[in-house]
Amino acid sequence: MIELRQVTKQYGQATVLKNITLSMDEPGIYCLLGRNGAGKTTLLKSIAGYQNITSGMIQVDGKTITTSTLDTGVSYIENFAKHFNLPVRKLIQIASEVNPNYDFDFASEMMERFELDGKKKFNHLSLGMKTMVSTIICLASNKKVILLDEPVLGFDAIMRVEFYNMLTESFQKHPRIIIVSTHIIEEIAKTIQKLIIIDLGSIRFFDTLQSVETKAFRISGLQKDVEAATRNLNIIGQDRVGDLVTCYIFDNPPKQTASLEIHPLSLQDFFIQMVGHKGGVKK
Amino acid sequence: MTVIFAIVKRLLASNIISFILTALVVLCATSSGNVVLSNGNYTWLLAVLTPFFFVFYDFSKLMHLGASKKDYFLGCLISYGFLAFCISLINTIIHLLIDPIYSAQTVINLMDVCKWTENGMIVAALQQMFFLLLVMIFLHVLLSMQAYWYGWLTDAVLVAIICVFTPIAPLRAILAGFFQIIMLNGNAVLHICICLLLSSALSLGGLAVLKRKSL
Repeated sequence: MIELRQVTKQYGQATVLKNITLSMDEPGIYCLLGRNGAGKTTLLKSIAGYQNITSGMIQVDGKTITTSTLDTGVSYIENFAKHFNLPVRKLIQIASEVNPNYDFDFASEMMERFELDGKKKFNHLSLGMKTMVSTIICLASNKKVILLDEPVLGFDAIMRVEFYNMLTESFQKHPRIIIVSTHIIEEIAKTIQKLIIIDLGSIRFFDTLQSVETKAFRISGLQKDVEAATRNLNIIGQDRVGDLVTCYIFDNPPKQTASLEIHPLSLQDFFIQMVGHKGGVKK
Repeated sequence: MTVIFAIVKRLLASNIISFILTALVVLCATSSGNVVLSNGNYTWLLAVLTPFFFVFYDFSKLMHLGASKKDYFLGCLISYGFLAFCISLINTIIHLLIDPIYSAQTVINLMDVCKWTENGMIVAALQQMFFLLLVMIFLHVLLSMQAYWYGWLTDAVLVAIICVFTPIAPLRAILAGFFQIIMLNGNAVLHICICLLLSSALSLGGLAVLKRKSL
């Protein structure tokens, strides 16, 4: 449904997206991870047709997406989206009027669940509540592709849990492609099916979460043992303290031996290894 | 069509500041002396103010609510048409009912100045409506372009045309001729056709600008 072919985006001399080729065919909740400035928002805005790319092609449902596409079938919401300063209920009602397939019942239910005061004007809401209103509007639009750019920004822990539940419910009700960009990695792991890691404008990883769970490991031990065990494996990172070495792999794990410690990598550790930075130093 | 009308409703509702400002000016404006300006003339202020709100305030907000560019574009055109009709109707009513009250004075209404009333009030109202539609679409396109280099270039070209054409007599005649065709035109059919033609051309230009517009 979403196809990106050799997508490059430049702002002046800076290349923000570098020759990205990506295909998302199946409905699912996709998580877009990347450091600040990695190109997440640029990628999402380009898929939404909010801005043009410098070269390459983006297609959604076979339709080429540029700013010229008058009806993209994509709903995108950014975290500081400005809305009409109207009561929340009125805002949601207007959204239902301008979106032909809007799920008004879902939006109303979510409003109640998040205890949004329908009479309160949008500008009087807290940052978290504003983001929630934008997210509800976006999810209820029922467009073929939903893009949520850092939707949990400003949410407290309870709101975040509710948000992940809402995401799952919305997807179960209307299966479609939902891409969520976030920095809170571990929390969203239970909700997503596929993971996209973007770094310095390039896609570093695109696979199922299951593949991370079954293939991402940390192997620690003496240098010679670790080197022997990880020979011919896909090593994504390495740490060294004296003679002790920790190797991070994305591959089938080696056999457990007494001299090796093998542990699965958390999603956050996997992400850190994939983007190849730690403590601001490129490894 | 339901979606487009929902957008029209929203565009008009969020244009309330223009309505209030126009109403205040129409109601409060006063003239003195033997020659007075009709208060109906000030209804044209709405046609000038409205595109600012549609372009700079409503566009991004409607996009964030999930409206498509196509629906926004059609919604704007319908709103301009509706507002042109309303402004023309109100100015015509003022000209017919309120202007005659100043019996001892000469009341200047732009409908007279533009020679539209020579064709009767109904035709004059129609001419006014199509002229205002042209004005609103022109402003909409010009304002939409302001974020881009070609918008600034258009501004410069327009200013240059006025500055160069005004002092040089033969060029001034061309400029005057242009305004006589689009505004000071007693030939109703020609006037309405020209206004519609230019409005259509400008709408296409506006569509091209909208297609390039990023968020």
